[in-house]
Amino acid sequence: MTSQQKSISSSPNNRIKLVRTFPRFNVSQRWEHAVLLLCIAILLLTGLPQKYNTTLWSQAIISSPGRLNTIQQIHHITALVLSALVLYHLGKAIYLITRRKLPGDMLPTLQDIKDAWSMLLYLIYIKKQKPAFGKYNFEQKVTYWFLFFSIGIMIISGYVMWFPGTITRVLPGGVIPAAIMAHSTEAIVTAIFIVLWHFYHVHFERLNLSIFSGWLNEEDMHTYHSLEYNQLVRQPRSDQDPGDMQS
Amino acid sequence: MRPVRKYHFFYLISAIFICSLSVFFIVTNAIASPSEKEVQSISQGQVLPDLKDTGPIVGNNVCLGCHGQPGLTMTLQNGDILDLYVNPDSYANSIHGQDGYACVQCHTNLGNYPHPLFTATDFRDATLHLTNLCNRCHSGEYNLTMDSVHFDKLAIGVREAAVCTDCHGSHDVHQWTDPETHNLLPAARLSIPATCSKCHNAIYQKYLTSVHGAALTEESNTDVPTCIDCHGVHNIGNPTTAAFRLKSPELCASCHTNPAIMDKYGISTNVLNTYVSDFHGTTVTLFEKQSPDAPTNKPVCYDCHGIHDISRVDNPQTGIEMQQNLLVRCKGCHPDATSNFPSAWMSHYIPSPEHYSLVYYVNLFYKFFIPLVLGAMVALVGLDVGHSIYIRTHRGKPRLKPKPAEVQPSELTETPTKPPQTEPNGEITNEQSEQSEQSEHDSEEASHE
Repeated sequence: MTSQQKSISSSPNNRIKLVRTFPRFNVSQRWEHAVLLLCIAILLLTGLPQKYNTTLWSQAIISSPGRLNTIQQIHHITALVLSALVLYHLGKAIYLITRRKLPGDMLPTLQDIKDAWSMLLYLIYIKKQKPAFGKYNFEQKVTYWFLFFSIGIMIISGYVMWFPGTITRVLPGGVIPAAIMAHSTEAIVTAIFIVLWHFYHVHFERLNLSIFSGWLNEEDMHTYHSLEYNQLVRQPRSDQDPGDMQS
Repeated sequence: MRPVRKYHFFYLISAIFICSLSVFFIVTNAIASPSEKEVQSISQGQVLPDLKDTGPIVGNNVCLGCHGQPGLTMTLQNGDILDLYVNPDSYANSIHGQDGYACVQCHTNLGNYPHPLFTATDFRDATLHLTNLCNRCHSGEYNLTMDSVHFDKLAIGVREAAVCTDCHGSHDVHQWTDPETHNLLPAARLSIPATCSKCHNAIYQKYLTSVHGAALTEESNTDVPTCIDCHGVHNIGNPTTAAFRLKSPELCASCHTNPAIMDKYGISTNVLNTYVSDFHGTTVTLFEKQSPDAPTNKPVCYDCHGIHDISRVDNPQTGIEMQQNLLVRCKGCHPDATSNFPSAWMSHYIPSPEHYSLVYYVNLFYKFFIPLVLGAMVALVGLDVGHSIYIRTHRGKPRLKPKPAEVQPSELTETPTKPPQTEPNGEITNEQSEQSEQSEHDSEEASHE
C-alpha cells in the first residue's frame, strides 16, 4: 500500500526527476474497467444502429436479415459478458462487506452534496477555493453511480426484451414495451453521459490514465485528492486501505 | 405531205373511239362487281350487312348468318365439342359490340366465306390460341400479364392458368372502368371476387366470411378491397414470395392510413405508424427498404389479422382484440406464449395513461430526465471549462493570496458533519491543519506558476 517511486524524464535536458506515485486502482479494478469499456463500446456500436434503423448510416450496417442477426448475436454475447462483469463486481463487494473490508470510499455521503455545492460556488466564482476531495471526488462518485444504475437498467430491460415469453409468465405483458422503451432511451442517456461527463473529466480537464496504469503521481494526488494524499503522507494508518478492494 | 395529213385525222378518230370504248368497259366492270357480291349474299338468304359501313370488312351479319344459329358446333381433335354459337344480343351488349367492332377485326385470319377451318387439339387449346387476339389492341394489358403469376404458370405448361378471356369473357366483354377516369366501376368491383372464384373458389369462400368480403357481397360496399386491390390486376404477382410479404404492410396501409375511407367506419389510421414503431414492424420496414427479397419471420399485418379471412378485431369469436384470440396468433411464432404474452404487443395503441401506462410513464420520465441530466452536465462542464480558462488567464496575480483565509471557516464548519466511518472525529483537528496547509500550498502554487 505504500507509494512507489517512479523515475520520469520530465525536462528536455533529461534531468531525472523522482516522481512519487500512489497506488490508486488494483489489477482487478483496472481489468474490470477495461472489460466494461470494451463491453459498452461494443454494445453501443451494435445497439445504436438498431435504434436508429431509419437512418442511412444504420441501414448501411444492417443491410440484410443476416447482418442484423449477426449484430444481435454480438450484442447478446457482449451483454452476457457485461452481466458476468456486473455479477463479479457485486459478488466482490458482497464478499468484502461480509469480511467488513469494503473500503467504502465510493459510497455517496452527505459530504459529496456539500462538495458539489462548494464546487458549484467555486465554479461561479463565489468561492475562491476548490473543495478538498478524498479518494473519490463527487464527480467520480457521480460517474460511478450513474453508470451503476444505468447499467442496471440496461441489463434488466435487456433481459426482459430478450426473454419476453419467460418474463410474461410472471409479469404483465406491458413490461415488454416498457423495457424496450427504457433500454433504448437509457442507452442514449448513458452514451451521452460517458462522452460528455466522463470523457471530459478524464481526457480534457486533465489526462487521467490511472484506471489503466493503476497509479497516480504525487502532484495529481495532491491537487485532486488532497484529503487522501494528506492521510497517506501524514497519517499512514495500518487499517487504512488506499483504495484497492484487495485485502 | 398532204395525203399523210389525211391519214393523221383518221388515226385520231379511231384512237378516241378505242379510248372511250375501254373507259366504258372499265366503268361497267366496276359496277358489275358489287352486284355479283350482292347476288352471292342474297343467295344465302341475307340482306347486305352494314352495321357501321365497315367498307371492305366483312360485316358481322355475314358471320352471324352461321354463328348466330344456336347449335353450331365443331368437334376438336380430342373429341371436345366447341360451341361455335355467338349470341348476337350478348355481343351487341358487350363493349366491343356497342362500339361497333366487327367480328373480323379480332378474327383477322378468316377472310371471305368459306373461311379456313379452325383447328385446335382441345377446348383449352382453342382458348389459349384465341386469347392472343386481344394482344392486337390491348397490348399494354397483355404485356402486363406476361409479368403475372398466371403467365409464369402458363409458361411451364399449366394450361389452366388464367388468360384474358377467362376473366373478361370473350364475346360478352364488359366495360369495367370508367372511360374518363379509368377507375374501376362499382359494378365491376362487385363482380371481381366472383370472377376470381371461378378458379380460386376456396379462397373466395374464405373471403366471403371476411369483414371485407361480407361488406362487398352483402352490403355492396365498394370501399372494401376486392381481390385485385391487393393482388393487382394484369401483372398479378406471386403472393407467397418474401418480397410480397415485406411489401404487404404498405398494401394494407394504402387504405388503412387513408382518413377519407377510414373515418367513415371509425377505424384508426395510426395502424401503420404504430406497427412500424414497434419491434416487429421496425424490422419488416427495415428489410423492405434494404433487402426487399429477404425472407423474414417477423409478422406482417396478415399474420395476425388473417389473409382472406380477416375479421373485425372486436368479433368475439375471431377478433384479435380478444387476447385469447390474439394468443393463438402469437403462438404461431412463440409456441411457449402464455396468457400475459399478447399484451406485450401494444395493439396499435400509442402509449397513454389509459393504454400501456407503464410505457407512457417510462417515456415521460425520460422526457424530463434526459434534459435534466444533460443540462446539469453541460452546465457543470461548461462552468468548469470557463473557470479553468479564467484561472489560466489570471494566473500569478497576487490577489489570490488572501482568499484561503476567507474560505477556511466554511470548510471548517462542514468537516464535523462528515459521516464517522469515513472521517473519525478524532481526525478533525488534524484535517483542519491539513486543509489550511493545503490551501496555503494551493495559493503558493498559483503564485508560483
